[in-house]
Order: sequence, then structure tokens, then C-alpha cells
Amino acid sequence: MNMKTGPEDTALDDPKRFTASRQVLAVDWFMTVFIRLGGVGVIVTVVGIFFFILSQVVPLFQGANVDEVSRGEAPSLPQGNYIGLATDEWSELPLVVREDGRVYFIDLRGQRGVVEKAPEWLQGGKVSAIEIDHGAQVIAMGTDGGKIHLIRFEYEPEFVDEVRTVKESLSEEYQGMVEAGKPVKLIAMGQSERVRVIGTVSGEGGSQSLEVKILKRKRSLMGVGKWKEVEQGDLSGELPAADKIQKILVSNRGDALIVVADSGRVSYFFRGDEGFKIRQHFAPFEDMPGRKIITTGFLLGDVSLVFVADDGSNRVFSLFRSEADPVRKFYHTKTLKSLGAAADYYASSSRNKAFLLGAGKHASLRFSTSEEIRWSEDLPWKVQLGAISGKYDALLFLDDAGRLHKYQLDDPHPEAGLKAFFGKVWYEGAPEPKYEWQSTGGSDDFEPKFSLVPLIFGSVKGTCYAMLFAVPIALFGALYTSEFLHPRHKIFIKPVMEIMASLPSVVLGFMAALWLAPLIEDKVPSLLLVMIFVPAGAFALGWLWGSRPMYIRKWIPQGLEFLYFMPVLIALGWLGWILGPHLEQVIFTVTDPQTGKSVGDFSQWWPKVTGTSFQQRNSMVVGFMMGFTVIPIVFTIAEDALSNVPAALRSGSLAMGASRWQTAWRIVLPTASAGIFSALMVGLGRAVGETMIVVMATGNTPIMEWNIFSGMRTLSANIAVELPEAPHHSTLYRTLFLGAFVLFLLTFLVNTIAELLRQHLRERYKTV
Amino acid sequence: MNLAKLEPIAMQKENVESLSNTASLSSALLERKNQAPGRPDYIKVSNFSFNYVPAVRVLHNITMDIPEKQVTAFIGPSGCGKTTLLRNFNRMNDLIDGVSQEGKIYVNDQDIYDRDLEVISLRKRIGMVFQKSNPFPKSIYENVVYSLRVSGQKNKEVLDEVAEKSLRSAALWDETKDRLQDSALGLSGGQMQRLCIARAIANRPEILLMDEPCSALDPIATAKIEELISELKQSFTVVIVTHNMQQATRVSDRAAYFYLGKLIEMDDTTQLFSNPSQKETEDYISGRFG
Repeated sequence: MNMKTGPEDTALDDPKRFTASRQVLAVDWFMTVFIRLGGVGVIVTVVGIFFFILSQVVPLFQGANVDEVSRGEAPSLPQGNYIGLATDEWSELPLVVREDGRVYFIDLRGQRGVVEKAPEWLQGGKVSAIEIDHGAQVIAMGTDGGKIHLIRFEYEPEFVDEVRTVKESLSEEYQGMVEAGKPVKLIAMGQSERVRVIGTVSGEGGSQSLEVKILKRKRSLMGVGKWKEVEQGDLSGELPAADKIQKILVSNRGDALIVVADSGRVSYFFRGDEGFKIRQHFAPFEDMPGRKIITTGFLLGDVSLVFVADDGSNRVFSLFRSEADPVRKFYHTKTLKSLGAAADYYASSSRNKAFLLGAGKHASLRFSTSEEIRWSEDLPWKVQLGAISGKYDALLFLDDAGRLHKYQLDDPHPEAGLKAFFGKVWYEGAPEPKYEWQSTGGSDDFEPKFSLVPLIFGSVKGTCYAMLFAVPIALFGALYTSEFLHPRHKIFIKPVMEIMASLPSVVLGFMAALWLAPLIEDKVPSLLLVMIFVPAGAFALGWLWGSRPMYIRKWIPQGLEFLYFMPVLIALGWLGWILGPHLEQVIFTVTDPQTGKSVGDFSQWWPKVTGTSFQQRNSMVVGFMMGFTVIPIVFTIAEDALSNVPAALRSGSLAMGASRWQTAWRIVLPTASAGIFSALMVGLGRAVGETMIVVMATGNTPIMEWNIFSGMRTLSANIAVELPEAPHHSTLYRTLFLGAFVLFLLTFLVNTIAELLRQHLRERYKTV
Repeated sequence: MNLAKLEPIAMQKENVESLSNTASLSSALLERKNQAPGRPDYIKVSNFSFNYVPAVRVLHNITMDIPEKQVTAFIGPSGCGKTTLLRNFNRMNDLIDGVSQEGKIYVNDQDIYDRDLEVISLRKRIGMVFQKSNPFPKSIYENVVYSLRVSGQKNKEVLDEVAEKSLRSAALWDETKDRLQDSALGLSGGQMQRLCIARAIANRPEILLMDEPCSALDPIATAKIEELISELKQSFTVVIVTHNMQQATRVSDRAAYFYLGKLIEMDDTTQLFSNPSQKETEDYISGRFG
């Protein structure tokens, strides 16, 4: 080419040829900013998600918040000795009972002031014993004249212009006589739908008598009839005469009568078909000589008893069947922090296992299950009576000057806490502390159990079985494909595997539950044989072929061996499949209880031999199906990593006279280890987070056992299963977020460790 | 069947000793001028043609003899097929999909494309050094003894001895004896290439193939390796591919000039460079072309 140079050659001599054009710079600037924004956006989003989850979780770990509702002066009551305090659902119109039987309703909204109800039924008598049953809305009174009255209090909300006002009413339901002229010292009541049990103690010292009345009412088409006394009994003879009875309690089903004596002894009577019979004597503070029981009360559900001793020691006893004793008895389950002094009053919540204790000015709100003190404070005045509102949103205190104080209680998640989520908790009715997840139950007094440990265990279990199945297949498959398979076939394998990865997991889960689980339920021995025959056959065949001399091996081209091996392996698998039932007949036999003959049945044999259960939807099914989602991911990433090992290393090794296997095992695999590790981690991440397959193919039972033939519940499946049941901002709702948070942390932790290890491997096996 | 001939030759004791002593070796080298060489047709190529897929013929009817225990240099412009021929000697071209060949190559009278021949045993007798050094991501020691490891040698003393002798032969011992367990990737470029030579000779192969071993190295490292090659031919038959004609004159006994997949001329190096019989050879070596 003849290049002209000179000032006249203006076409080639563009003076701008050395400057970058404005457009190039603008695009460069724009892309820089755009990419940076994208990156920052991703980080902000992830951190945002993290903080959102955190914000949902944090309230679980906060204590109770209690503030006095200041509405001017606290309403003041007429002079007198007040013995009972009860409240309505909204804590707007609580009532107090005076010793003379008068009932005062106090309008805390300040509209009606104090409303006095002077019932005619007492006829000048004095109330000498009282119990208020919030659930039944009944005040049980015993008089010094030996009579008992059951008075029902009712609240009726009325809406006027969408403003709620509460109307009160009182009515007598039952009147009876224990013994004329003998003052009733203690009274207790419990009722179920049909039966009402009233326990009374009357008289003093040696002449003290413990009596039980059983009332029943009939239901007819006309409605509910009146309560009628059907039975009466005297249980004094069952107790040591020297004991002075200090407190009696009747459970709400009327099946238990608890008698506390001043000697520190508690007697538990159980009502069976033949009336009340003594079942257990125990002393809650047996190990602390000289301690007396001052306060006793049931917790919600009436299967736990709270005891407070005269020094403030606080213990909870619960009813359960121990392993040694098939009869339900009370055993010590909880010890709470001492109150410091004898308790003056006790009130339990009708929502949860919380109770209120007070001594003088000190008040303490406690939660039995967690053994925690939710709130405690020294109030400015001495408290005579206390109560917890029905919605667990207010505390009421009646001070010794006759003023009623309302405190707003904000404690939405008393049952939550680190111990509840991650520790062993001794729930009512259980013979020992354990990890348990059970979010909903059949009755109102059911206590939700929120241990995340079984769920974490389930996640680990599911992941382990899936990885156990998937990793060997995926890794050896990748190794074979990248190092041994003929290139002509190799180009088909990867796209096929990628199609496999794109199968929606809901389809796989559906298949697992409806097709695979029933299919392999009775084919376990066959599967077992297939799993032994096929790998063993592959090894044997490989060894046999590899040790043949070259003049035999030359007949099959390198990389095409699998075409000849496959039929043999398929035949072996088929053989294992049909031999399975025969194996079952020989090894996995159980005795048929009806015919007495020995029958082969793996699903019966397994529970008999291992003591664990055999379920149709079990971890093996999950392992298989989840394996199917994990295999393609691990395979493709691992295959990429192996194929990316520089060809120079491979030919270097082969040129040294190494065999293909030696090259693959000694050079290619270590060099690709960082990538293979990533593949495993991505597969692990997929298995941990997998939801649909686990939801559909397991029984979702939150149990903690490694048994491969039982199900599990994983953290992710738990969220999917429970979310529709979780009311907004409830403890369950937040606990599900906590589950998500734990899942997040788990994957974060695994990924971080994996990344560090991967960096280390990459550094160690980096190539030139 | 001719497997018996492929049994490794017994390593001669004096060879090992002379290798471990480079000083006496250099003087011995000068005296060896008139020494009787081994077989003149140790590697025999007859009418050999080679095709890549699809039907791209890169070697045309090559016929040549490579003498035992001498250095034979392949020279020629890029793409003339010299590396392809070299890689055929240990059948490294098998790794490429769809290649085909015609004609025969005999190593010590063994047809290397005999289908009954186990390629692994062939490669064990032929060491190879690649254009770009390719140490394994292992320690220096493990790199050197790799060929023994894959042959199943587990005796630590044997391995240690071989490692030392090979590194001495590759003139790398003094630089690496204190860090044998360090990663081979920490070595410099020249050291890596000498490590690859040490690795290639550790198993005492009969033939050493070198594919432009100095192309990526500086003059000092090149000089060291050239010196090494001259010493190695005491025990090995060396075939070297090079672009550097000075290097060919310095190290080789015989030289072959390739052009466009054809062998143009093969002769003693001094003869080929001073008095080539072909016009193309003369053009190439005098720098008028290429």
C-alpha cells in the first residue's frame, strides 16, 4: 500500500483521532453508574430483607410492658373489707365483693362511677369464704351461717353509635346449705358442661369437716335446666385429723379436689365412678423443713398447681403419667425465682400460663412454662387483691385504701424466648422436658409448643438423606462425563441434565407422594438389592474390563464402554428387583398374630427389630426425589469445574504414562476441587431450602429421629404448612419468621464457611 | 506381538552416576564426538500421514529415521506439522477427537499404532516436555515422582533417590533441595520448565520429546536448558521441536526441516545448516523466509 503523508492528506489526518468521543465517554459513565447502582441495590435489598425479618422476630424476645392507665383519680370504693375481684373481658367494668356480700361494679371508663348491687339473698349474713370462677362467671360464696350461694355475673356489650358500653347483671344460680350455723371457712368450685362440684370446709380445728356437693343440670328441648344437688359426701375422714385445712381447690372439670393443709401437705382427690378417692399425698416444699404453703392456685387448664411458701419460694407441680406409675399424679416441674415474702394474693391468666403474685407493695407477673418473671415492680401502695384481665392485656390492683388501679399490660409473646425456641422445655402433661413443636391444639387451654430444634433437625435430616443419594451419583457422573465419556455423547448429557434441573419441584413432590411412595412402600427389600447389585456390578465390571489385556479391550473404543456396560447393569438391577420379595420371605419375616405363621413383610419387620416406625412417606422417598433436584445442579457445576481443568495438566499426566483414572483421580479432581466444592454447596443450599417436595412427600411430623423410614418436618416446610394458620403478629407468625431467620443464618453460615474453604482450595490448587 | 521389546531397558549404572555428576559429564561430552552412536533408526517413520477432522491433512508421507541417543531437532515455520509429528510419537494425538493417520511409526521396531499395544506402557517409555510448562498443582517433590507414583512405586527411599537424581539432572537440585514440599507453582518460569524436564526423566524413559521447551524463557534459562539437553543425550534419545535456529545448531546432532506438512530435508545439523541440499531449506535458515 502506498501511504501518502503530508499536510494535504486531510482525510486521514483528522485532528480528532486522538480524542475519545463524547458519546463513548457518556456511555462509559452511564454504564459505570448503572452497574454500581445495580450492585448497591442488590446489597440494600438483601440487607433490607434481613432487617425486615429481624424486625418481625425481635418482639418475641422482649419482656412485658406495664403502665398505669391514668384516668385521673383511681375510683374509690366505700369503706369495708373486700374479699373478691373479678373483671370483664375488656377490663372496663370490674367487680369487687365486700365481706357483707355487696358487689360493686366499677366503671373504669368513668361514666357511671361505682355501681352498688345489694343482693337480697344474704339476708344480713356475712361472707366467710369466696371463690370466683372467671371461666364459668360464677362467684361462689360461703356464709358464716353455713349456707352457700352461687352467683352468676354476666356482662353484655351494647353498641350505641358504634361505641361499646358494657351492661352488667347478677343472678343467683344455686343456694344450698352445708350445716346450719357452722360457718363455711373455705369454698371451691369447678364445673364442666353438666357437672358442678363444690367443695367446702367448715368448722374449726378438730371439728373441721370437708364436704363435697355435686350438682347436675338437665338439658332438654326447652333449654338448660336448673342446677340440682345430686350427691353429697364428707371426705374429712380421708385426711389426718390433726391437719388444719388451709385451702381447697376444685379443677374446672370437677375431677380433682386439692386440699392443702397447714402442715405443708397437699392431698389430691380424684373423682372417678365411685366419687372422690384419695390418689396422692405430697409436700411441695418437703426439702425445705419448716416451710408452710401460703398460696396455692391452678394455672389455666387446671393441670398445674402453683405453690408459694411463706418465704416466697415459688414452685409449680404438674399432673402427668410417669414411666413408673401409670396413674396421673402431681410432680414437681418448675421452680421460679422466690418472691421474697409470703404472697398476699394470687391470680392466674385465662389466656396462658401466666400468673400474678404480690406481697405488700411488690407485684410480680410470672410465666410458668418458661419459669420467667415477665414483669415485677414495687407499686406505690399496698395491694389487697389483684387480677389479670381475660385478654391478658391489663392488670387490676385493689389497694388497701379501697382504690382500684388499672395497668395496661403489653406482653404479646410471653411463651416465647430463647429457651422455648432452642432449649428443652417441660410442658404440662409431659413426663420430662423435651424439644417439641406443636403450634395448635384442640382446646382453649392448649399451650403452643415452639421448639425450632425438631425443625432444624428435620432440615438437616432431609438434606443429609438427599445429599447421601445425590452426591455420589452427581459427582461420579460428572467425573465420568468429563474424563471418560466419548465427546460425541458428552454433548447430549449436559443439556439433558439441565432439563432435569428445570423440573418444578412441586411436580417432583407430587410424584413422590402419589407415585413413588406407594410404589416403594412394599418394595424396600427390592430397592435394597438394587442398591447393592448395581454399584457392586459397576465396580466388578470396571475392574474386570480394566484388567483385560489390550487385545481384548481394543474391541470397544475408549469412551463407549458404557454402551456395553449399561445392559448388564440394567439386568442386574432388574434381577435385584425381582429377587427382593424372595429376600423378604427369607430375612424380613414377622409372625402373623392371627395364623401364627411366619410372613415376610419389611414394613412390619422394621418396627419390630429397630423399635422405630415405618411410614409410607418417609425420608427415603424425600431423599430420592430431593436427590433428583440436587443431582442436575451438582452435576452441571461439577462437570464444568472438571472440564475447566487445563488440558495441559491432563496431557501432562497422560504423557507421564498415567492411566485415565489416575489422571482423573490424582490431577483433575484435586485441581477442580474448589469448583466441585462449590457444586456441593449449591446442591446443599438447594436441599436445605427445598420446600414443596418435603411438604408433599413426608408426613410433616416434627419428630427427632434419624430413622430413614419415618418422616420429618423441615424449617421451610414448616413455614409453608403453618403460615395459613398464623394470625398476623401472633407468636406463631413471628416464630415462623424466626424459622426463616434461622434458615437464613444457617445458609449464610454454610455459605460463608464454604466460601472460605473454597478460597483455600482454589489457592492451593490454582494452576499456572 | 512384539511386547517383549517394550520391556524397559535396564538402567546402566554408570549412566546414573555420570548424570548425577554434571561436571564430569561435560568433559565426557567432548570426548563422545567420535563415539559409536546407538541404532540409527531407533524411531522409524515410514510414509506417515496425519489428518485432523475433517480431512485436513497436516502431515504428508513423512519418512525419516531418528537415531538413538542423539538430539534430533525439528525446524520449520509455524504450522508446518513438526509438533504434530512429535506428539504422534507418544500418541498424544489420540486425545483429539476424529484424527486419523496412515503409514507407520516404529519405536525400537514396535509399531506404535498396533491396536494390541497398551498406550500407557508406550507413554511410560517416552517422556515429554511441553511448550508451556505444566507443573501439577502439587509440591515440587510430588511433581518429580509422579511417574513413579502412577506406576505404583511406594518405597520412600527409591522415591527420594529418584527425586534427587532427576532434579540434579535437570540442574534444579541446588535451587529446590530446601523446599521440596513447597508448591511447584511458586517456581519461576525457567525453574518450572526444568521441573517439567526433571519430571519427564524421573522414570528413565528411553526417548525424551521436547516441544519448543524454551519458547517462553529468557536467554539465561534457555542456556541452562540447552546445556541440560546436551547432557541428557548421554542416556536419552532426544527429539526437540524448535523455532530458534541458533538453538538447533547448538544442541542437535541431526536436524529435519519441515514445510507445509512435508519433510523437506533431514541431515546432520552441521551439514544442514552449512550446506543444505534444498533451496527452501536454505531460504529458511538464511532468514529470507519464515
